[in-house]
Amino acid sequence: MVSLEQLKEEVKKILSSGNIKYFIGYENFSSGWQVRPAFIRKPEDVDRLVWTPACFHNLVRFLHDEKRRRAREKNPDTRPVGLIVKGCDSRAINVLIQEKYIERKDVYLIGVSCELMGVIDELKLKRHLPGLKPRKILFSPKETIKVITDDDKEIEIEASEILADRCLECPANFPVVADIILGEKIKKKVTSPYQSISPYEKMSVEERWSFWQEQFSRCLRCYACRSVCPMCYCDECVADSIVYAVTADTTAEEKAQKIKWVERNPEPSENTFYHLVRAIHLAGRCVDCGECERVCPVEIPLRLLNKKLEKEARELFGYEVGFDASQPPLIACFRDNDPQDFIR
Amino acid sequence: MEKIIQKSAFPQWLKSLQAFKIFLPKRANYGWELNLNHEVQEIPEDYTYPVVPPKKLIFPQEEIFFEFEQNPEDGIKLKEILPEAEQQVIFGVRPCDGLAVKAMDLVFGGTYEDPYYWRRRRQTILVGLACSQPPSENCFCLSVEGSPSSEEGLDILLTDLGDRYFVKALTEQGKSLLSAASSLFNEPDPRDREAREKIHLEAEKKIKRHLSSARELPEKIKAIFDSDFWDEESLNCLRCGICTYLCPTCHCFDINDETKSLAPLKGRRVRTWDTCQFPDFTMHSSGHNPRPDRASRLRQRLSHKFLYFILLFDRFQCVGCGRCVTLCPVGIDIIEVLTRASNHGA
Repeated sequence: MVSLEQLKEEVKKILSSGNIKYFIGYENFSSGWQVRPAFIRKPEDVDRLVWTPACFHNLVRFLHDEKRRRAREKNPDTRPVGLIVKGCDSRAINVLIQEKYIERKDVYLIGVSCELMGVIDELKLKRHLPGLKPRKILFSPKETIKVITDDDKEIEIEASEILADRCLECPANFPVVADIILGEKIKKKVTSPYQSISPYEKMSVEERWSFWQEQFSRCLRCYACRSVCPMCYCDECVADSIVYAVTADTTAEEKAQKIKWVERNPEPSENTFYHLVRAIHLAGRCVDCGECERVCPVEIPLRLLNKKLEKEARELFGYEVGFDASQPPLIACFRDNDPQDFIR
Repeated sequence: MEKIIQKSAFPQWLKSLQAFKIFLPKRANYGWELNLNHEVQEIPEDYTYPVVPPKKLIFPQEEIFFEFEQNPEDGIKLKEILPEAEQQVIFGVRPCDGLAVKAMDLVFGGTYEDPYYWRRRRQTILVGLACSQPPSENCFCLSVEGSPSSEEGLDILLTDLGDRYFVKALTEQGKSLLSAASSLFNEPDPRDREAREKIHLEAEKKIKRHLSSARELPEKIKAIFDSDFWDEESLNCLRCGICTYLCPTCHCFDINDETKSLAPLKGRRVRTWDTCQFPDFTMHSSGHNPRPDRASRLRQRLSHKFLYFILLFDRFQCVGCGRCVTLCPVGIDIIEVLTRASNHGA
């Protein structure tokens, strides 16, 4: 099991050394059992850190902000940023290195092994504890998750009952890149890594279309899925109605010629277009951290789209995302034996 | 006007309102929603409040203003589109969301009335439901001049007395809904009034979260406008639209021309929700952005609610529903941030 004390110790050590700019971990949220990302600058603040089954956030996403901040400042502090990475998060680091968005030296990584656990799914937890309010959620040594309720009841729940689908389907429970790794490397057997998409694969095209139309019709275009995604770092997105890359030199004509691929209105056609563009742009890049689906306020099952494309990349190109930072990205490479029967 | 209706008579009341579009709370996979549904004839016992607040039925996310079309004879022709004026009754509006509609009325009213908003608003009757339990653990309405049984903005306030509702009609429109089926309503006896009073008082005690001295916030916020306080507080912010799109009082919008064809020119002008949390909200055509970072955007959201709105209308632009706290993917908590703002530099 990952020891919180050891985690705090390591963070304290690296912060005291002055070798990192700040450290991103998790801290308790103001009310309830939730945690949230915490930015720690001083060694004496490490006691804010927590490590619980609710640490689902992929902190890699905050490297976008750091990169933008550096670009704005005249004399930026270029020391690495420290952060906690789970297996999936560490694969996101590799993808960003592959794509030359960051360099390995930009980050100091404390990897945590998920061992045979993972992080919980909030909806599953709610369904599992009808009428009860969790106050604290903790890992328990017996592959169970311990929930302490508002009225001080202790409940042990079989982890598989409330873990996120992505964790249940994830065989890569150990960080692939890190400076230090906490927790044990335990081999995990996953019998059906694509279980969640299989019912949809069995549907006819028409059934799938109507399923997704119904899902997308709820979309509010709050763009939380895009904002939380470690891979959605474009300065300019087709979904936006203006070009962020406008500078003082951009001519009026250039501005006017910006093609509107997708309108701002939340009609099903525009919502569908937005989500499909995002899904396609994540093919061979998505590490299945599940954040897009978690943050959606109307619970659109976005992970299904990404999981399907992950499977396509694996079956068609033998490509697995984020395991090797030295290989070229899927979409930026070509091999003679790549399948090409689709070319007519 | 105060009445009692048995819950068993509630479906009959709904039936008497067939001339209206009726919205009722319905459970969806993601939480509660207000649904145009005539099959379910009751407000479910475990109803809390809708994830997307009722504002969307008055101020929809998309509003078409007009269509334009160019032809060789007349040049460009415009066709104005005004919302269809269908009368709607929304059941299960929580007092905070009613208060929020009142705040929206101030924005879209005044010297220049927004015709699109008011077309819908004047056709809308809000049937409130007092909270016996706080709908969310992050409710803090008492701190922003609201309450679990506040009446402002509503046409009727229902209070759940177990097997019956205490019905208080607050406006002429509200009264008209009762007179449509007057035989279903009885006069309340003193015990009913007592029960109602008790539920309202108990509900206030159940609210867990509080923001102290909210009326002092305008000065406090103003004093730290240029402080790096906002940088620290916004480190987590993802710049998504959840806190504002799901806020019952946020009302900012964008207007775009959606061109279907360039020659001949054809298209429409559309208003959609927009939010101060998106970087392009304040982006100038020159490329300059006066609110260039998350710090200035968080400051804007809070200043609008707890400074500018108070200066303009002498009331908060926050009703304490707690949605932004509960739904923020990274735990930015308006109560905490404002509390720290109050104490900053103190």
